[in-house]
Amino acid sequence: MINVIKRVAIGIAVLVGVCAFYTGYRELFLATGWTWPFEVDDITLPSLPSIVGALFDPVQEDGELLISLLFKAALFTAKEAFVGFVIGTIVGFTLGAVIARFQMLQRGLMPYVVGSQTIPILAIAPIVVVGLGSLTIAGWTPSDWLRVSVISAYLTFFPVTVNTVRGLESADPRAIELMRSYASGEWAIFLKLRLPSSLPYLFGAFRIAATACVIGAIIGELPSSIQGGLGGAIINFNQYYVLNPQNLWATNLMAAALGISFFLVIVIAEKLLVHRPPETLT
Amino acid sequence: MSTLAVAESGGGVGRASGFARTWLPAALVFGIGLLCWQWIFPDVLGVKPFLLPRLSDVLSALWENRDALKTAAWITFKEAFGGLILGSGIAILAALVLARWRPLGNALIPYLIAANAIPVIAFAPITNAWFGTLSPWSKIVIAAALCFFPVLVNTLRGLTSVHPSSIELMHAYACPQRTIFWKLRIPAAMPYLFTALKIAAVLAMIGAVVGDYFGGSTESLGVQIQSAVALSRYELGWAAIVVASVIGSVLYGAVALAERFVIRWHPSVRAVD
Repeated sequence: MINVIKRVAIGIAVLVGVCAFYTGYRELFLATGWTWPFEVDDITLPSLPSIVGALFDPVQEDGELLISLLFKAALFTAKEAFVGFVIGTIVGFTLGAVIARFQMLQRGLMPYVVGSQTIPILAIAPIVVVGLGSLTIAGWTPSDWLRVSVISAYLTFFPVTVNTVRGLESADPRAIELMRSYASGEWAIFLKLRLPSSLPYLFGAFRIAATACVIGAIIGELPSSIQGGLGGAIINFNQYYVLNPQNLWATNLMAAALGISFFLVIVIAEKLLVHRPPETLT
Repeated sequence: MSTLAVAESGGGVGRASGFARTWLPAALVFGIGLLCWQWIFPDVLGVKPFLLPRLSDVLSALWENRDALKTAAWITFKEAFGGLILGSGIAILAALVLARWRPLGNALIPYLIAANAIPVIAFAPITNAWFGTLSPWSKIVIAAALCFFPVLVNTLRGLTSVHPSSIELMHAYACPQRTIFWKLRIPAAMPYLFTALKIAAVLAMIGAVVGDYFGGSTESLGVQIQSAVALSRYELGWAAIVVASVIGSVLYGAVALAERFVIRWHPSVRAVD
């Protein structure tokens, strides 16, 4: 309990520190008129009170409040990211399990699974989202948000595959021999031994993927006419940035909150499910 | 992965056949991949060109637009490289400061890790507003911001990963703090730092390309991809992505090469040889 209180206290201190730094930087540069590295004014760095105030102002005359609009947008983006996360995890885990089972596949595929991490995958988001829009399978076209989920799934899939292979192979060889000596089948070894010992690795991948799937969803919304989410809101408010810079800042704060929430959900799930912490996890 | 394969093939198998066993499956997959891209996807599975155009179409788009792509590649490379240097440099300095005041560093680490979950790339429109959409600095700064957190967290972990008994030994020899820092903490941090720099190299490239999607110079790679997609010239878009991937791999490879020279003594590097 004391630990929790301490954590919360430090968290608040960090938050206050960041706000103080932002305001201090702004005031200092406004007072001295320094223009390096960039000119500071109400447009480049809107004051914190004006950003918070914008949250509770209607976006248009007599329209809904910015905060409720952003909340809906965050839920929309969260849906895309979550569906992508689930699809990516299922595909990644299945592929990882198959790769771990067959040595030859591992030698053939793993260099490319690892190598694919040197590719700026996020860059293909517009091509895939726009491209999928003209796809029809037996009269069915994927809906807008599902096309964005594909990007999230894609970004989730890579870390999950790599860590599934590592995790399934991390089972203690002596324990495997023991189970074999009891004449356990490969399936029983998989369920009772390999799967539990892969959990810490899986969660390592989930932490990376939780962040990546939110980024994928936001970037995936950019090129298309998908307006419901945070990416659409960013594009929209970016066009009116000179008039209302606070709106874009508020949207980005909401995006940051969404990313951190996804991450925290995984961290909490990990605390509940994994009792034996791994020695090293990045 | 290659460490594992080499270790396995060592026992009783000749060097040449070990090499073949290690690399043959990978080469086979590469060949099959190219075959799929060129014939099986478009002709057998009917994958439409807007999803993945035929390999030869992408290559000819690459060749026909080589001048524009070369210019774009150079602009984007400079932005990514600048961002990598700037972001990693500041992160390493911050890690050194936080490692000097351990309680502060330990208290901050969970929050730095959580901050890593912020979709930093979404702030690209703001750096555009700071430096101007056409200025390379807007992309350099967003690429640097992307690199900052992973490098900071990993370097800090590395600096504090020294075995306590090693520090005790140094104390027993009456070494001053500075010597412990230079002889113990800095070398211990190197493997962590290079792991982070490899991640950062790719992130810097993402920052430079994806930052363009929020507006950028028409000559840069990201805007080229975006306008190619808008005009349904998918083979040109994929050609630009191939260029971006090559730059990303080159940056990554450069860091991996530097790693092999700098931390030759480390088991993870020695095992590869």
